[in-house]
Amino acid sequence: MSRRAARRKFLLAACVLPGVLWLGSVNEADAHQQQAALTRVLFNGRSGNVEVMHRFLVHDAEHAVRQLLDPEADIIASAPAREQFAQYVIERFSLLGLEGNTLPLEYVGQEIDGIFLWVYQEMPIPVQLNGLSIIHNALRDLWPEQNNLVNIERDGMVQTLNFTGTVEWQSVTFE
Amino acid sequence: MTLLCFARHLSLRHGVLALSMLMPTLGQADAIRQTKGNFEDKFRQLDETLPTANTWRNAAGQPGHEYWQQKVDYRISAVLDEANRRLTGTQGVSYLNNSPDTLTYLWLQLDQNIFRTDSMAEMSDDFGGVGRRGPAVEAGSASTPARLSLEELRRQQTMADVPMGYEISGVVDSSGSPLDFTIVGTLMRIDLPEPLRSGQSTQFNLDFAFNIVEEDAVSARSGYEHFPDDAREGGNDIFLMAQWFPRLAAYTDYEGWTNKEFLGRGEFTLEFGDYEVEMTVPADHIVSSTGVLNNPAQVLTEEQRARLSAAETAARPVFIVTPDEALENEREASSDTKTWRFSAQNVRDFAWATSRKFIWDAKGYQQGGDVRPFVMAMSFFPKEGEPLWSTYSTESVIHTLEVYSRFSFDYPYPTAQSVNGPVGGMEYPMITFNGPRTTLQDDGSRTYSLAEKQFLIGVVIHEIGHTYFPMIVNSDERQWTWMDEGLNSYLDGVAGREWDPDIPWGVEPADITDYMRSQDQVPIMTQSDSISRLGPNAYSKPAAALNILRETIMGRELFDFAFKQYANLWMFKRPTPADFFRTMEEASGVDLDWFWRGWFYSTDHVDIALQRVYEMRLDTENPDIDYDRRRQEDAAKPGSLFVQRNVEAGMRTWVERNPEVRDFYDDNDRFTVTNKDRNAYNAFLEDLEVWEREALDRAIAEDKNYYVLEFANVGGLVMPIILGITYEDASTEDIYIPAEIWRRSPDSVRKLVVTDKQVASIVVDPYWETADVDIENNYYPRRLIPSRVEAFKSEGAGGLTGRDLMQDIKTELKTEEETAEDAAEDAGDTQ
Repeated sequence: MSRRAARRKFLLAACVLPGVLWLGSVNEADAHQQQAALTRVLFNGRSGNVEVMHRFLVHDAEHAVRQLLDPEADIIASAPAREQFAQYVIERFSLLGLEGNTLPLEYVGQEIDGIFLWVYQEMPIPVQLNGLSIIHNALRDLWPEQNNLVNIERDGMVQTLNFTGTVEWQSVTFE
Repeated sequence: MTLLCFARHLSLRHGVLALSMLMPTLGQADAIRQTKGNFEDKFRQLDETLPTANTWRNAAGQPGHEYWQQKVDYRISAVLDEANRRLTGTQGVSYLNNSPDTLTYLWLQLDQNIFRTDSMAEMSDDFGGVGRRGPAVEAGSASTPARLSLEELRRQQTMADVPMGYEISGVVDSSGSPLDFTIVGTLMRIDLPEPLRSGQSTQFNLDFAFNIVEEDAVSARSGYEHFPDDAREGGNDIFLMAQWFPRLAAYTDYEGWTNKEFLGRGEFTLEFGDYEVEMTVPADHIVSSTGVLNNPAQVLTEEQRARLSAAETAARPVFIVTPDEALENEREASSDTKTWRFSAQNVRDFAWATSRKFIWDAKGYQQGGDVRPFVMAMSFFPKEGEPLWSTYSTESVIHTLEVYSRFSFDYPYPTAQSVNGPVGGMEYPMITFNGPRTTLQDDGSRTYSLAEKQFLIGVVIHEIGHTYFPMIVNSDERQWTWMDEGLNSYLDGVAGREWDPDIPWGVEPADITDYMRSQDQVPIMTQSDSISRLGPNAYSKPAAALNILRETIMGRELFDFAFKQYANLWMFKRPTPADFFRTMEEASGVDLDWFWRGWFYSTDHVDIALQRVYEMRLDTENPDIDYDRRRQEDAAKPGSLFVQRNVEAGMRTWVERNPEVRDFYDDNDRFTVTNKDRNAYNAFLEDLEVWEREALDRAIAEDKNYYVLEFANVGGLVMPIILGITYEDASTEDIYIPAEIWRRSPDSVRKLVVTDKQVASIVVDPYWETADVDIENNYYPRRLIPSRVEAFKSEGAGGLTGRDLMQDIKTELKTEEETAEDAAEDAGDTQ
């Protein structure tokens, strides 16, 4: 079968902050909608930047924009729709130092390449960085089965964080 | 005798990669890795890994000479209570025991019980846990509250308000005597009054009923969808009925009863059989179903039947129920009922859909051949799917049959259907549920985006593809998701590219490299319920692996022959992974154990690095030739920087200041040839056998270029090495080195390449066909590969794909005068 998620809105459960709504919205998934995104966090010594490259399936992105922002969005034809999606993504992705300080990523742009929509961010490689904490909630607030894989690539080594289920943030340390 | 010697040694810019990545973990010894030495037997045959062949499944991957499977026939009568969204049914089952075993009980699958509040799936739900099906929730932490979605609340409320799951009663044998039965979660055991011996059959009846789930509320593979905005007061529903009757669990030679609890992920393991099904629904409903309609005269109008006849030979799909007629049906409901009767032979499941909202189109597919010369392709969809569905759904069904049959067998069933409803995409014999919809505009029209069009064509191909795998090639979905999803994802890519290659389809090897290099993985050979990332693991990675087998390792001819063998051998039978692995090898004559081991049993990835290139020239052994070459090579080296600086400083050496003092060594350098050398050369020639002399003479005459390329296997997965060589005259050549080069040295190998022309550059995997995760180390000389961010920043926003084409196309062409005015304004701006 293909995998599909139902329409959803979030709210906070009563355990800590009763009654506070956290709104998501509506949509559905399908055979090709694998509900799996992939992000590379590349320490690029050549450019001196930490480069963040998010990869989503095009119609995952379209369905997300339609649920959240514009029910008629056409992600392939419309650059504004893609920009809306990119903004949605970067608002849900954060890099933090191990002390919890947010690292200021700058938005670079988005593009479609084949079946994928890419969203780019970057920042100068911080000095004396001994690790990273990452938050990646994109699409997870829409589809509970959404799975965001993050590869942190530094000095030729890859570390992987998998954002799914209850995971809110995770960390890697550098030697 | 050494004929080759190193003339120049060209080392690459980057050094040898850290060896620690290549070392096996110490202390782990098995048949592949030993405690002594570092050798890892990547080509070890799968003998110990695959199950022992037997008379039911032979070592060639074929059904053995005593292959058996059970046969289960059903006769079901069901009534839909539309108002209460409830289905009641009665079914008679005939079970034929073809196994060599005596059975004292039968197991049935009660999949509707997964929706009970006390189901194992529900009770073992890891709140917000990995891979959960259903509405969104998030567990809390020390600093954040837990979160429930409104949909999760609705799901829980629905399950609390409306009792879900089966109500089973009237379980009796053929004489009407009650049978003992025990319900265990999503399973039910019926105890037989007499042991059922091999070759015997038994019959029983039971009654069942259940409240139909709202698909959106519980994330099921079936259920109803409500349309509150229809003209009819109270709205209308589409009902998709699947996993709707108690189905016999499979009894197999490799697992016995496949009575593993239904947890929602691992799908279904089923027996083939014949079905006679009648469903009573509101009289204004249209029913789409597995099988053939037996009573069209009772349920269809004369006009509808005439349209069906016309559709058989139509060039384009013909409406059986037009959009206008469906719209009219939506306005009010009939209080009458009609009973639709369908029969299906040799199917492993049975599903149907019903609604008064359905538009219905059909087109005959003249398949030809002896098996099923004619197939009726049909689609059923509400107005919410138009105009996308009537344009592409039925055509996509036929396209899928054309392509898949070429790679497997003639489609054996009389119908193939695509039904739109709340399920995003799900497959059953002869019928599939597909989700794409269109957008209602303010002017009342409905439109769709290019992405939604791709979604429709793609999902119809994928789900109709499933009617081959696993509906006919009946793999065990509960155990192995990849056997149907992986094979089908490979083939849907084939069919998609044959639909329109300008639309991106399928899985390219380069698409899975980031997943394959990630550190958090399980092998493809993992039971369905235990897979952490189902999409890349069970869909993309096996699809890419099969693509690579076909395009790169086996070649299309051998792969297609072997794949077709597999499909035909296991058509209407139940293959296991070993049967697939074995058949692909047996039919192609290609040893693939290393490939299965690397791609399906391990989490290694592909990263082959071209570490060094040594360029060499053949020594002639003739001192009059070789010594002069040495002299030239020596002269080509940079001189002493010390001496050079002395010269630049104007210093004059003793020799320069005393030119009259000279001796023999001033006129004869160390490369001077003497007769002693020539005598040795002549003696060397004299010692050569005739064939040796011929070989030497020919090699000297040809004076080829010799290169030794040194490769490192950084990723661990052994693969063929594909070289793209560019010569100094700009001509190119590809060289294919089989994966077997790694068999005795899986970490590092060398290859001698002999060429007529001088090599300018070499690249490993020039067409990105092996899923090599690191391209930068593929090049000699090393090439800096810009990251996507670097490329994006230098090339701008995505080239042509970044344009807002539908908006830009509305732009009016400017006149010459307007263009001139713009230019003048621009000039003014810059002044």
